[in-house]
Amino acid sequence: MESTIPLSFDRITARKAVQAERRRSMLIDLGVTLATIIAALLMGFIVIALLGKDPFLAYEALLTGPITRLGRTGRWLELATNLILVGLGVSIAFRARQFSLGGQGQMVAGAIVAALIAIYVPLPPLLGVLIPIAAAMVTGFLLGLLPGVMKAYLRANEIVSTLMLNAIVLRLYDYVLTFHLKPEGSATTRSLPVQPTAQLPTFYELFGVDLGRFNLGVILVVLGAIGVWLLLERTPFGFAIRAIGANEQFARYGGIDTRRVIMLAFAAGGAVSALAGVHLLLGVHRRLFLDFVGNIGWDGITVALLARNNPLLVPLSGLFYAYLLVGGDRVEQQAQVGSELVQVIQAVIILLITAQVLGDWIRARRARTQAEE
Amino acid sequence: MDALNVIFSVAFLAAVLRVSTPLILPALGGLISELGGVINIALEGIMLVAACTGVLVSVWTQSAWLGALAGVAMGTFVALVLAFFHLNLKADLILAAIALNLLASGGTIFVVYLVTGDKSSTSRLVSGQMPFLSDFIPGVRALGEIGRLLDQNVLTYAAFVLTAVVALFLYRTRTGMHLRAVGENPEAARSVGINVRRMQYLALVLSGVLAALGGVYLSMGYVKFFARDMTGGRGFIALAAIYLGARKPLGVLIAALVFGAAEALSIQLGNLRVPTQLVQIIPYFATLAALVIYAVVQRQRALARQRAFVQSRAAR
Amino acid sequence: MPSPLLVPMSQNTPYIVEMRDISKVYPNGVRANDHVTFAVRPREIHALVGENGAGKSTLMKILYGMERPSSGQIFVRGKPVSIHSPHEAIALGIGMVHQNFMLVPSFTIAENVVLGAEPVRRRLLDYKAAVAITRQLSAQYGLEVDPEAPVEAVPVGMRQRVEILKALYRGADVLILDEPTAVLTPQETHELFTAIRQLVQSGKTVIFISHKLREVKEISDRVSVMRNARLVDTVDTAAVTEEQLARMMVGREVFLHVDKAPLRRGEPVLQVRSLEYVTEAGVETLKGVSFNVHEGEILGVAGVEGNGQTELVEVIAGLRPATAGQVLLCGQDITNASPRQVRQAGVAHIPEDRLTNGAALSMSIAENLIVDRYERPPFTRGGLLQPTAIKENAEWLIEQFAIRAPDGDVPVGSLSGGNMQKVVLARELSAQPKLLIAAQPTRGVDIGASEFIYEQLVRARDNGVAVLLVSADLSEVLSLADRILVMKDGQITAVFDNTPSLTEEEIGYYMLGVKRMSAEAIAARA
Repeated sequence: MESTIPLSFDRITARKAVQAERRRSMLIDLGVTLATIIAALLMGFIVIALLGKDPFLAYEALLTGPITRLGRTGRWLELATNLILVGLGVSIAFRARQFSLGGQGQMVAGAIVAALIAIYVPLPPLLGVLIPIAAAMVTGFLLGLLPGVMKAYLRANEIVSTLMLNAIVLRLYDYVLTFHLKPEGSATTRSLPVQPTAQLPTFYELFGVDLGRFNLGVILVVLGAIGVWLLLERTPFGFAIRAIGANEQFARYGGIDTRRVIMLAFAAGGAVSALAGVHLLLGVHRRLFLDFVGNIGWDGITVALLARNNPLLVPLSGLFYAYLLVGGDRVEQQAQVGSELVQVIQAVIILLITAQVLGDWIRARRARTQAEE
Repeated sequence: MDALNVIFSVAFLAAVLRVSTPLILPALGGLISELGGVINIALEGIMLVAACTGVLVSVWTQSAWLGALAGVAMGTFVALVLAFFHLNLKADLILAAIALNLLASGGTIFVVYLVTGDKSSTSRLVSGQMPFLSDFIPGVRALGEIGRLLDQNVLTYAAFVLTAVVALFLYRTRTGMHLRAVGENPEAARSVGINVRRMQYLALVLSGVLAALGGVYLSMGYVKFFARDMTGGRGFIALAAIYLGARKPLGVLIAALVFGAAEALSIQLGNLRVPTQLVQIIPYFATLAALVIYAVVQRQRALARQRAFVQSRAAR
Repeated sequence: MPSPLLVPMSQNTPYIVEMRDISKVYPNGVRANDHVTFAVRPREIHALVGENGAGKSTLMKILYGMERPSSGQIFVRGKPVSIHSPHEAIALGIGMVHQNFMLVPSFTIAENVVLGAEPVRRRLLDYKAAVAITRQLSAQYGLEVDPEAPVEAVPVGMRQRVEILKALYRGADVLILDEPTAVLTPQETHELFTAIRQLVQSGKTVIFISHKLREVKEISDRVSVMRNARLVDTVDTAAVTEEQLARMMVGREVFLHVDKAPLRRGEPVLQVRSLEYVTEAGVETLKGVSFNVHEGEILGVAGVEGNGQTELVEVIAGLRPATAGQVLLCGQDITNASPRQVRQAGVAHIPEDRLTNGAALSMSIAENLIVDRYERPPFTRGGLLQPTAIKENAEWLIEQFAIRAPDGDVPVGSLSGGNMQKVVLARELSAQPKLLIAAQPTRGVDIGASEFIYEQLVRARDNGVAVLLVSADLSEVLSLADRILVMKDGQITAVFDNTPSLTEEEIGYYMLGVKRMSAEAIAARA
């Protein structure tokens, strides 16, 4: 092809320049995140000192607590597992720019459906675990489908619909547990235990290493992270999700059926979040009780957002967040400082990280100084 | 029939009013923020902070009113922080609100622990209480059933009065009109000289004040202590009430009363063997249904309009 | 009701607004206004005409304080002024009604009119006063509105009157109307003109920006013509014909020359039959358009923007539903098909707004290049995306289309306008379409990339692709097209074979509605 434009464009140097710029941009982001964390920790340090407690003791507990005793390490890893699974789930819809806050309800729904099978249906060893997992994923999928359809085809606000669904599902769970799963005459509101073949063995049971309740369910995390990454980066469906998240009109113009993809993104997220519920059921508690999931739904959303919805970073942010939670508990024992302070530090970290303006500001300044050169 | 007896009793009505108050107040606040285009998801945290501050300051000053004032001030401060992070630092509104809720939950327990050494509540302290109608009009108590209905906390009366005030503000004052314009079409507002950012700050601050009042009621209305996470999700029920109430003050009031009725009913029906959880679901389900119906109606209307134009043209 | 500074007219000037020697140069070097002197007499209807990009909108933005001039002076009622914001313009009695209405949908008309300067009584909004004021203004100036109706429920014509009332409420003496009839039905246009005449009778002055010469002839007292950032002349409307106006408006210095092989026309690929489109607001944007595009030819659609070209392209591409009519591709009915079905039938589309439709700025070049085919082999095999194939495709296309980027991983948002357009072009052409729609293909693109794009379009045509070129740039159409359609007011008003004897002026007459071919002539040649 003859072109009238001379190809004087040196591709090699341009490529190096772009890659260098990309690296610098990532470093800025990383730097800002780290600076934020350090700033928040510093603030906590000062507060503890001002209270007359020993900040060094406190921070030693916070920063080393989860790894100085095997039991705590187990708790850290177990907590991280839950957070990562929920985070992976919500990140799928977030990538399509849909604010699905339904993780809490999807977890609970997954748990209860899995429980119905795991408690009452006798199954052989491997199937005893796989079938409840599959059932939970289907439940989560269907539960995510509802707000998905409402948003995609009716343009109903997904924040409200997912919050409403959460409330409904949580209460249905309480109802079913209290009136149908609680054995007659039992003093506490909890279900029967799951069948032995449905349990995910803990590391202690497998290897004799006492890591608390940390169990084989970690496989779900590994598979989940890889699976979600594959879904988003290596499947056509994931491509469509990312295209919609980047520019919905462009996706439509290119021929993508945006409504169907959005609906399915909600559903897929539900299926993954439900895994957290199954993990809690089969691996950690082995039975159902009230307030089964606590705050994990919200924490999972935070974990996803901190990882910027990148499935490979979600495990890291989940580990980080869980580390703070477990370290915080230890701080309380060691230094008589409430673990709530740690909660406060976490909150401050999140708050500061969301102020993206800092990273943008640094980049803008650099651009200006470069232009002046 | 037992159930009906329960519902139509005056005692039940009194209970509904009592239970709805900490729903009406934050819902009104949330309504203002929603109409201004900056929905406040941190109502829960604000209520918690106000409840805690109110109790602690009332103990310290031995004055319920000073405590209430401090509670409102603290709650408003939290709303200001949210506004600053979102409007000035471009933080994501939802994420910042989640962070603040988290901050409130941990922070309040931390402070309580510092002051009392107890991590669950301040029940060992002698804290103030907001007065009831009977504190002003002692004769009310002698009126039997009706008396019990009327003898509500001053904050309950405030909730109803504030509904009217909020309605007046939104629909009959210039600022309220500007706020609604900003929420609906900020470009149009800007083009006539309205300062969009200032309006959104105002919306969040006002939502903070109202939610804080709800929080103060929780810890200083019928009880006289602060307990960990005592808001129990009311901040989120308030959000639901906004949409169930079609984003209008009167509607929000009624919606909050519906949620309150469901809560009061569920307590009563617990005695009558109807599962409370199922009763509690009704308002949420109603909101969901309302959302769907609203969306479907919108679509039908748009389609009908287009069809009408085509037909009228063909007729020419 | 607020009123502007009551500055009496200076004795030594017959003009209420005078803009002297105004120039506006943007930082990127684009000259939007070049030593323009524009003067308006009080109580006249003064039309400001020119093609898209001639500079009339910029000039008015300067008058309304939305832009600052690079040089020149403005006089209002004889006094030199400096207008820094719309606020100051309003204070001087200048009001502007934009093309995009700035209304709050759920508010009533009265509320919208007084927004920002509401009447109060005892600290509360005096809604009754707002309604009364609105009614009074409405009656005084003949702008019929229903003050208590919510704006979202009233037709477009009434919404426009609301915007005018807004300006009048704030004491505007000089009203700038920016392309006011673009969104109106003929009936509404008639009502608007009656209202304008009444406004002038009441002492107001109206500046009427338009490119519709028939309307200009009908309503205005004087006309100022702009072309290429300069003011060509100001004349009395009665003393000039539409032809003369058109001749003043059309004509460009730059004329690009492109080599084309002789035309080898084949079968019709695209057949559009009586296509109609009515917007949700009830405006007829396409009123029965019929034409064919053949293999191996470039059909150019000329016309001033806003005459239905955008909608025509979007309806054919499946992005908007037609309200009546048919679109056939090689005999297959693709009317109201989804964008995917339209693409599968063999249609490629270079959209007029690449930032909105044509590209996802945060995605990489490679990903942008496959958005229409990512789920087919070789890009997907066995249900999984194939990164190697995607990368190779990107490398190949970057090379072929001389896209200045280091590799396919760079986000499209970092590219210049011309390069971004090349990415769009590369994607669309590499789809081996039967029909290529190119809408404003060189808008915002530098000369070098423009030349390249022309070459590519011609090459496609030489290879047998049917090309539908829609462009507001007349010289572009004349350089490239084999046949030319002219669109005006949602209809085809002329069809030409592109012969050397065809001039820009001639086409200009049809573009501006001065001349019109008979329906039979059009049908025979379309």
